[in-house]
Amino acid sequence: MSVVGKDMPHDSAVGHVSGESIYIDDMPSAKNELLVDFVGSPVACGHIKSVDYSEALKIKGVVACYTYKDLPGINKFGPIIQDEVLLCEDHSSFIGEPIVVIAAETRKALAKAKKAVKLVVEELEPALSIDAAIKKQDFLDKTYRIARGDAERVLKEAKHKLEGTCIIGGQEHFYLESQAALVVPGEYDQLVVHSSTQHPSEIQQVLAKVLGLQQNQVVVVTKRMGGGFGGKESQATHPAGMAALVALKTKRPARIIYTKDDDMKFTGKRHPFQNNFQVAFDDNGRILALKAHLYADGGAAADLSTAVLGRAITHIDNAYYIEHADVVGQICKTNYPPTTAFRGFGGPQGVATIESIVQDIAAYLKKDPLDVRLANLYGTTERNTTHYGQLLKHNTLPQLFEEVVGSSDYRNRRKLVDKFNSESRTHLKGLALTPVKFGISFTNTMLNQANALVNIYLDGTIQVSTGATEMGQGVNTNIKMLVADEFSIDPKCVIVMTTSTEKNNNTSATAASSATDLNGSAAVNACQKIKRSMAEVAARHFDRVETGIGAFPDRIVFADGHIYDERRPHNKLKWQELVAMSYRERVSLGERGYYATQGIGFDWSKGQGSPFLYFTCGCCVAEVVIDRFTGQMKVERVDILMDIGKSINPGINRGQVVGGFVQGMGWVTNEELKYSDKGALLSYSPTTYKIPNIQDIPAALHCNFIDNPNNTVNVRGSKAVGEPPLLLGLAVWAAVKDALVYAGKGQVPKLNLPATGEEILMRLTELKKTTLAVKSKGKEPAKIS
Amino acid sequence: MRDFVLLYVNGVEHQVSGDDAFLSLSDYLRYSLNKCGTKVVCAEGDCGACTVFLGRLNAPKSGIEYIPVNACIQYMYQLDCTHIVTVEGLKVDGDLNRIQQSMVDCHGAQCGYCTPGFIVAMCSLFEQCDKGEKSCNVTRQEVSDALTGNLCRCTGYEAIIKAAMSVDEKEYKRLDNLYPSQTLISAFKKHHDEPVSVKGEESEFFKPTDVKSAVEYKSNHPGVVIVSGGTDVCVNLNKGRIEPKNIMVLTHVSGLDELKTSGNTVEVGARVSLRKLEEFFQETLPEFHHILWVFGSPQIRYAGTLAGNIANGSPIADSLPFLFVSGAEVEVAGLKGDRRIKVNQLYSGYRKMVLTDDEIIVKIHIPLPAKSTKLKLYKVSKREHLDISSFTAAISLERDGDKISNAQVAYGGVAAVVLKLSKTEEFLNGKPFSLDTFRGAGEVAMKEIMPISDVRGSKDYRLQLAANIMEKFYFETADEKELVCP
Ligand SMILES: Cc1cc2nc3c(=O)[nH]c(=O)nc-3n(C[C@H](O)[C@H](O)[C@H](O)COP(=O)(O)OP(=O)(O)OC[C@H]3O[C@@H](n4cnc5c(N)ncnc54)[C@H](O)[C@@H]3O)c2cc1C
Ligand code: FES
Ligand code: FES
Repeated sequence: MSVVGKDMPHDSAVGHVSGESIYIDDMPSAKNELLVDFVGSPVACGHIKSVDYSEALKIKGVVACYTYKDLPGINKFGPIIQDEVLLCEDHSSFIGEPIVVIAAETRKALAKAKKAVKLVVEELEPALSIDAAIKKQDFLDKTYRIARGDAERVLKEAKHKLEGTCIIGGQEHFYLESQAALVVPGEYDQLVVHSSTQHPSEIQQVLAKVLGLQQNQVVVVTKRMGGGFGGKESQATHPAGMAALVALKTKRPARIIYTKDDDMKFTGKRHPFQNNFQVAFDDNGRILALKAHLYADGGAAADLSTAVLGRAITHIDNAYYIEHADVVGQICKTNYPPTTAFRGFGGPQGVATIESIVQDIAAYLKKDPLDVRLANLYGTTERNTTHYGQLLKHNTLPQLFEEVVGSSDYRNRRKLVDKFNSESRTHLKGLALTPVKFGISFTNTMLNQANALVNIYLDGTIQVSTGATEMGQGVNTNIKMLVADEFSIDPKCVIVMTTSTEKNNNTSATAASSATDLNGSAAVNACQKIKRSMAEVAARHFDRVETGIGAFPDRIVFADGHIYDERRPHNKLKWQELVAMSYRERVSLGERGYYATQGIGFDWSKGQGSPFLYFTCGCCVAEVVIDRFTGQMKVERVDILMDIGKSINPGINRGQVVGGFVQGMGWVTNEELKYSDKGALLSYSPTTYKIPNIQDIPAALHCNFIDNPNNTVNVRGSKAVGEPPLLLGLAVWAAVKDALVYAGKGQVPKLNLPATGEEILMRLTELKKTTLAVKSKGKEPAKIS
Repeated sequence: MRDFVLLYVNGVEHQVSGDDAFLSLSDYLRYSLNKCGTKVVCAEGDCGACTVFLGRLNAPKSGIEYIPVNACIQYMYQLDCTHIVTVEGLKVDGDLNRIQQSMVDCHGAQCGYCTPGFIVAMCSLFEQCDKGEKSCNVTRQEVSDALTGNLCRCTGYEAIIKAAMSVDEKEYKRLDNLYPSQTLISAFKKHHDEPVSVKGEESEFFKPTDVKSAVEYKSNHPGVVIVSGGTDVCVNLNKGRIEPKNIMVLTHVSGLDELKTSGNTVEVGARVSLRKLEEFFQETLPEFHHILWVFGSPQIRYAGTLAGNIANGSPIADSLPFLFVSGAEVEVAGLKGDRRIKVNQLYSGYRKMVLTDDEIIVKIHIPLPAKSTKLKLYKVSKREHLDISSFTAAISLERDGDKISNAQVAYGGVAAVVLKLSKTEEFLNGKPFSLDTFRGAGEVAMKEIMPISDVRGSKDYRLQLAANIMEKFYFETADEKELVCP
């Protein structure tokens, strides 16, 4: 009886519901502990003329202030391009960029000290928009391009053409636990860094560099995060670095906890994009050619932008075969906190672009957008290579479309929406189906590796350690189930331990949806090594007790907590007995496993390759209703259908799908980052930044998975599920756009993302004005459906 | 005068004095008592991660009433004679309670950071609910209404809703059974009408128990900050926007708790919570009830008061447009006695009231609209629930056959104060009840307001809403047969 595929609760659930789970701010404080905070740049772009913290040091309880001059190592780092500093030197490039680190004994002293630091910063002209950066031609990194066929020529010759710009907003991660770190100094300048991070190894490497230590002097420990979503991948380095500097210098434990306001103001977000496109299509809406120029807002430093842009470029096809494609992308340098990883990682912005284009084509041709989508959908035997040349194996998109169109009753509801809109004087409805095809693997092939440590103790219990970090997504529960299943023992015997660079070295970030794929596979590999040695012990044992069968480890079976030779199943050893026996026979009961994804690769110089091991696909149908007078929108019904292979834990997977969808829905609707004309974030707390609330979730939310017993490429035939469902949130946005088509009586409506009530109302108003103008010229208003 | 705050936390008595009395409850729990189950995320009442139970004497029922509040915006000085129950105090004989277990079983917790707050809010739904024999499970809408004040970024809420709906009310063990109420009741009865004053290093607070001493304290301490529910004040404290030397809490001032109808007027005591009002108006005036339903969250409404909403004086305070058009009055008490002021004459500027230094609000008188009055109240905000308005409106009028009379229009979020739109009213009065009239009124209204662009919306958006809301009113109040297609 396998535990894999069971609906086991999250391994921390009991602690979570009783308030006993421990996060960094909950760890007991040592007597001599210091609290750390910082003072950052008051301007978006500045020349730092002087820093004076002498008054701050006079405050009772303030222990130290530091600037970049106090850094013992090299003040330069970055996950891809080394262009970031821990503390500003003479230049600051976004509001809040840390300049002075303060350590104090009490919160009060810390707050007073922050006010007492005097900075003289000369304000320089910042770049606060993609347009401003384009004007200055100020880009981070080079221009990236993927092309197939001859888009230029086809565009010239095509009968139907549309062009435009998709304006796509950023998104705040809004993990509930803000950035946090607690650093405990040890002997010989060794540091133990408790960090709320998705990437302990990066923290280790960066801290060693900026503090002038060897990497082996820094241990980074991550018990859990109160949410991450990509925001604690590279962005966790600053808090950890500042606390580590204090701990190293003062030899006292140092803790930094960002307030939510500071976290929102000063850390990076999802990339806003501004994408220009030209598309050619035939009478059926089949796309013949697409030319697109993507501009990502990278903020003030490269961070992970290159990889994010790469994913946008490789996902602009989404579920559609585009024969002639020419996609170019650049990263604009602006004076905002460096934009960073966020669930979907560029994929959502690529997909939003093509889905917007598809809606436009349908509006232009007066077709149901579903038919345009079907006309373009990747095939199973032909029209099934991506614009970068990867073949779609076992493409389940056509099946997903067929099933969800049926289960959601799409065609019938389209008619009802037509009718509603022709009758209602006060409201408008919209309906849309959007798909997702999300490539799984880090696009940087090197990162697709992992190691794991499995230790068995004499009572038969097991500790597993991997580089995966737990942020709620359930990776530890998945790994626990995989390990229990390998030995066929009760999962209660397995604990997945705190993540630490001491046990697992040179790990990749818990990112790209692949934590279970990579770390789970590595753990399975370690288990298999141990099993092999234990099977030998068992084989020798059965050879002794069952006369004449010989010792054949290959014949040894681990099942239901017991071990036997398949030829003599009645004669069983208990798991604990075999563990003890193996110990007595001096067989290692601990192993390190390793895994590296095979068969993937990508060459950016050609824009060609197969960067992904496989694709996770899904579809979502959303229906919305809009108040014509206020623009306020409600999602009435959502139908999600996904192919996630063979699920390791359906309950946890479902949580990822619904959670991801709702987060995506937030991004496309009410999550709006508003800045002052000086580059200060105005929507910097949940008062003004509105993530979806429980009342925003449609009562009719159907979420299902298709059966896919054929999937074998990944661990236990499962498919990664962390990011893909976020992109399904786009169905809500597309449904709003669909509603606007009715209001515009056939015009191709514009809609920026997010579609806030204000955005919707202003678009409705705009459409009303142009329709009136058209009407007065006596033209027949066009109808769609 | 008592010089400490007396409270219980998970059944244990605490006497809080000195600087600890000036902490937020969440800081006190986390840093003074090391009870870290209660999480702090936003420190401004907007996420619910810090939700705890506040138990207090429930006068009419003379038991302990447990309400959910945000611990980040309850300061210790507000908590005299209360019993705080945190997530750590909810287990039953060391085991998870029924709701905690359901959240485990239904995958209601992912990262877990929001979870303690959700658990308390969910338990509060079961504390309040009294389904009797008929149906023992709560409805989806009841769950959503109870959890509106809690944000979760991981789950998408579906699993949480399922967890709540899977619990049979009878299986939930109420707090009265976990914490014998007799001790609490007798302690609170004995001490709640004792005035309290505590001095900290930098400030002092005073808890009066009658209006007279409140008024005297106020006039003797210019600049004193009055704290009622604290849902406005405590946010300002947390964000460092105010650093008051003197604080006066109204929690136990006698005579401010009454809510009653007298003739055609509803009288609301200054300490009546928005939650009580919400219940009260459900039948009496559904239009106003709706505004209260989308007002903040349960946690905010249990703590916050109508008097606080009025006194805070924000141009986007949700109760004001209605109070403006209905002719409501505030009753204030001062050294010279009581007087009444019309709410629509209360403000002299941005967040400024015409009260004298000694005066406090003791009551609000709200005349109920006549049956024939057509009244509509609007709140436009980015998110429907738990959001501050971008624009608010109240429109009320009578119809003499086809003609409009007695039009009353108030808009919020369009100027430094809520505006009564006299030109628009004038325009409407005497005009036929038609789409053209309301379109015309919209245009007049647009000229009568001075909205600005801010984080909650652009000037153009607000202008457009000012016009459109008139049309919306028409379509919502016209008889079906007279409707004209737009
Ligand atoms: C998360 C959150 C959501 C919110 N949502 C909304 C919303 O949807 N709509 C809305 O309008 N508001 C909202 N508010 C604001 C606030 O909740 C309301 O204004 C509430 O009515 C304030 O009442 P209170 O008793 O808590 O006031 P307090 O914070 O105690 O006091 C507010 C002000 O009134 C003064 N005051 C209080 N009582 C008296 C009195 N009797 N006499 C004289 N002065 C007095 C105080 O000195 C203070 O200046 C929200 C606040 C938060 C934190
Ligand atoms: S911490 Fe967000 S409501 Fe208290
Ligand atoms: S479980 Fe992570 S925020 Fe709710």
